[in-house]
Amino acid sequence: MYNEALFYQSNLIYKEKNMDINFSKEDIAFRDEVRDWLANDYPKHVKEKTDAGITINKEDLIDFHKALSKKGWMGYNWPVEYGGTGWSASKLYIFNKELGLAGCPPILPFGVGMVGPVIYTFGNDEQKERFLPDILNFNTWWCQGYSEPGSGSDLASLKTKAVLRNDLDEDYYVVNGSKTWTTLAQNADWIFCLVRTDNSGIKQEGISFLLIDMKSPGIEVKPIITIDGDHEVNSVFFTDVKVPAKNLIGEEGKGWTYAKFLLAHERFGIAGVGASMRQLNRLKEIISKLDNSDLQKKVNELEVALSAIEITELRLLSALENGGHPGAESSILKIKGTEMQQALSELFVEASGEYALMYPGPHGYENNDKPAGPDYAAEGLSGFLNLRKTSIYGGSNEIQKNILSKFVLGV
Amino acid sequence: MNLDYNDEQNMLREQIQKFCESEYDFYKREEIVKSSNDFDENVWNLFAEQGWLSMPFSEQSGGLGFGPIELSILFEEFGKALVIEPYLSTVVLSGTLLDKSTFSEKNDLIEKICTGSIHISLAYAEVDNGYDYLSPSTTLDSKFALNGTKTLVLNGSNAEKIIVTCTNDDTLNIVVLDANTPGVSINSFSTVDGQSCSEISFENVKLDKSNIIATGNDAENLLKETINLATLCICAEAVGCMESCYHKTLEYTKGREQFGQPISGFQVLQHRMVDMFIESELAKSLLIKAMLEVNNRSDEMYKHVSALKSYVGKSGKLSAKEAVQLHGGMGVSEEMMIGHYLKKMISIDALFGNADYHLKTFS
Ligand SMILES: Cc1cc2nc3c(=O)[nH]c(=O)nc-3n(C[C@H](O)[C@H](O)[C@H](O)COP(=O)(O)OP(=O)(O)OC[C@H]3O[C@@H](n4cnc5c(N)ncnc54)[C@H](O)[C@@H]3O)c2cc1C
Repeated sequence: MYNEALFYQSNLIYKEKNMDINFSKEDIAFRDEVRDWLANDYPKHVKEKTDAGITINKEDLIDFHKALSKKGWMGYNWPVEYGGTGWSASKLYIFNKELGLAGCPPILPFGVGMVGPVIYTFGNDEQKERFLPDILNFNTWWCQGYSEPGSGSDLASLKTKAVLRNDLDEDYYVVNGSKTWTTLAQNADWIFCLVRTDNSGIKQEGISFLLIDMKSPGIEVKPIITIDGDHEVNSVFFTDVKVPAKNLIGEEGKGWTYAKFLLAHERFGIAGVGASMRQLNRLKEIISKLDNSDLQKKVNELEVALSAIEITELRLLSALENGGHPGAESSILKIKGTEMQQALSELFVEASGEYALMYPGPHGYENNDKPAGPDYAAEGLSGFLNLRKTSIYGGSNEIQKNILSKFVLGV
Repeated sequence: MNLDYNDEQNMLREQIQKFCESEYDFYKREEIVKSSNDFDENVWNLFAEQGWLSMPFSEQSGGLGFGPIELSILFEEFGKALVIEPYLSTVVLSGTLLDKSTFSEKNDLIEKICTGSIHISLAYAEVDNGYDYLSPSTTLDSKFALNGTKTLVLNGSNAEKIIVTCTNDDTLNIVVLDANTPGVSINSFSTVDGQSCSEISFENVKLDKSNIIATGNDAENLLKETINLATLCICAEAVGCMESCYHKTLEYTKGREQFGQPISGFQVLQHRMVDMFIESELAKSLLIKAMLEVNNRSDEMYKHVSALKSYVGKSGKLSAKEAVQLHGGMGVSEEMMIGHYLKKMISIDALFGNADYHLKTFS
């Protein structure tokens, strides 16, 4: 659990090294390698779209991930043993930051970031062989089936039911219920679900971790359109869906433990520092041409705040490399990192002035006539509306503050 | 001193509320937004029947002679129901400008507005002119040829007539012309809050004296006063939105259970809703101040509308963001009404000068 405060703990370790805010030579060389990849092997058609602020499609996302696979970087957060890079925390940080700075789409977390680590940590050999290579090669698109209409922040109250049956010597679960807000389920081949296999004990017990083929009969995916006009999330309905028992990860009833492990696993990069720096740099350039002291002041304030976030992330990283454990402090990064993303997108909207009135939707004007006004107006609005989600998902910012008050403040 | 609405005004508010409940619920609104017209003929006719389209016009012009107080009430209620009908462009921006002018054909046009049989748009904004509406680059030359481009013309796609600001020999002129006059081209775009606005260009459009509504000082005062009244109206709309954001969030959190209790029971959420409530009350106070100043046509009326506009620009957006956040995923769903208040607040802040601009104007 998160009951030790990382910053204090790392102070207890006897230290000989002096403080040094620069990365090592090795890390710098690695950074250059990443930059080199971005300059030469990051798919050009994806880069063109993201540079122009156009929403990318499914094929673009696949091309981007496949390019990472080809370089051997898809398993950026995995140990070498399972085909990952085995990178140190600082390399991981540099990788995330450089990709963000270059404007890459975020790496889809569901396969490589989420279900992969659960499978190699708690799955059996057959499951590892069956699922891990396809994740690293991006041959399967995963989605995350946690949230339900009645279970958002209170995830452990989930109700989607899985009942074990045996038929003609085959063990399988029959799944009934619904998941919601499932990101990009419309593209997914597989979904990893938390399901209820037992109702008798406390709600955290009786939850199991089940992998379900999206092509199974009885699954229905319905789009949910968000306020930016995009189709990014879905409802997923399960009616008597037959799932082979061999798709259960670990033990029945231990799903909550695995889910918590997964939450603790994705700590770095959640602040999105690289991507925010890119947006900040673009804004600085835009605002420098506007002769508007109010906007100038706002962008300066964001720059200072982003610097504070970045150094906070580096402190966590440094403590980690010195043998500390990431604690609940990383909730700081989730809260401040998402607030930063939102504030930057809002400043794009403000810098658009009266042109923030017009909004063509998430795909921009495409081949239609464009109205007068800055190019970034439509993109700014799309970002502003879309990024409201960041303080809601991944453990809402209110829930993060509950975590900080309980485990760091101890109240 | 008395800062309460009178009985007649309260009745007007009730009438509008009832109408919006029965004829303009969120599903109906969504239907209209998705239609190609961006307004509903039938609803517009009902507006006419209720007398709302005649509200702000003087009795001499065939109107009801209501002022900024009644208009504010109407817009507050429109804000709550997120009404997108082109009232602002046709009735406020175009109609009241005509009404206050000495234009010879104004009675005919106002009568048509009152009966709901015409849409008129005011083309006041230009690319790269920011919020300075008094010195347009669109020109009217000595041969009465109109040249230039206007942008962000609300409801331009439905307008049969367009009122255009232009410069003639360094003085401001306001002219009115048919939208289908040769040389006029209109390109329309969706706004973030479900309306439409247009870019309109004029290429050697031949006019004559009869097209001129006002010139010089008269034109400047007319334009300033009209934009100021329209600004007051959308601020009232913002105040309505803020009240709804608070009410709807309170309702939602009372009904939403997590961790075995309504989430309204969590104190952190309670305080945030209290903040939304406080902001909504403070915005209402500034609205009352501004609308009374405009009603009295006091010297300070511009200043107080600026105060209000800068206040709702900032706190209105904040309330709407909080409303979305406290709804969780539901807040970002297009099918829920709550997220649409956020889009409305963006549109309101963008129109007629944003919060920063009006804060400067105020001081
Ligand atoms: C765009 C988007 C994509 C998503 N993608 C996925 C996905 O791929 N897979 C998936 O499983 N889920 C996904 N989610 C769901 C997300 O995890 C939930 O929205 C989130 O857990 C919040 O749950 P909720 O929406 O039900 O809000 P609720 O839990 O109902 O919360 C409503 C409000 O109450 C607050 N609140 C709740 N409890 C407390 C408390 N104890 N103290 C203080 N405040 C509290 C919340 O912070 C929030 O402000 C996604 C959500 C969004 C918006």
